[in-house]
Amino acid sequence: MHSVLQRGNAILAYALSVLAFLTFLCFASTVFLDYRTKADMNTVKVVVKNVPDYSASREKNDLGFLTFDLQTDLSHLFNWNVKQLFLYLTAEYETPSNQLNQVVLWDKIILRGENAVLDFKNMNTKYYFWDDGNGLKGNKNVTLTLSWNIIPNAGLLPNIFSHGSHSFKFPVEYTTSRM
Amino acid sequence: MDFINSIPTHMDFEGQSRAEKYSRVIITLFGAVGVIWGYIIQQFSQTVYILAAGFLLAAILTIPPWPIYRRRPLQWQKVRSGDSGEPSKKKKK
Repeated sequence: MHSVLQRGNAILAYALSVLAFLTFLCFASTVFLDYRTKADMNTVKVVVKNVPDYSASREKNDLGFLTFDLQTDLSHLFNWNVKQLFLYLTAEYETPSNQLNQVVLWDKIILRGENAVLDFKNMNTKYYFWDDGNGLKGNKNVTLTLSWNIIPNAGLLPNIFSHGSHSFKFPVEYTTSRM
Repeated sequence: MDFINSIPTHMDFEGQSRAEKYSRVIITLFGAVGVIWGYIIQQFSQTVYILAAGFLLAAILTIPPWPIYRRRPLQWQKVRSGDSGEPSKKKKK
């Protein structure tokens, strides 16, 4: 502490240690919170086509098209340790070739301060619903679930699954017409 | 050059101790207030800003060698003159 530089160094180091401790307090105050909440979803139009998948094998694979409704209120999830939510809608189903298939159909980023009361009607998916074979036609149990990542200031990056899901069937016939 | 050399950069030992104590108290206090306020309004950025304000205040108050940190200079013995050191030793208080 005998020179200007030494004093500057000492208080800067102490201030940064305090900052690290306060960040830990921020983490500790939110780590045990329950971030699950209810989400209602529904499918409106569901069709399946059989078309060549040029991004993969060029063989004809099943491609599902669907539109969905989604209602949920996520505004109470935000606190001082949540910077943004990354929502994603997953379709989960079983085929003879795979016990578990998971396809992300749609996602959305909600920054803190943006509107977090979602009410979507007849939304198109953002990503293609490809199966890696012919597992979609006539599939009787495809389950949509909404999940989200919490992006915090400090701490864990948890994957949260919403309460509530929606199961639907694909038609037993391929659609051949243009849509 | 004389002007630059005349700027005092020195703290006495007592002053160094006080400067360190003050800086610790200021930064800790601002940190505690910042975390409480940030929790109340749920904005961690406010906590960081308040802590930064505390750091600046502590820097202004305790980095420059203000006069209050130079009140107890060390009492050095007088420079002895030549080789007749014996008499001056007895006079020392």
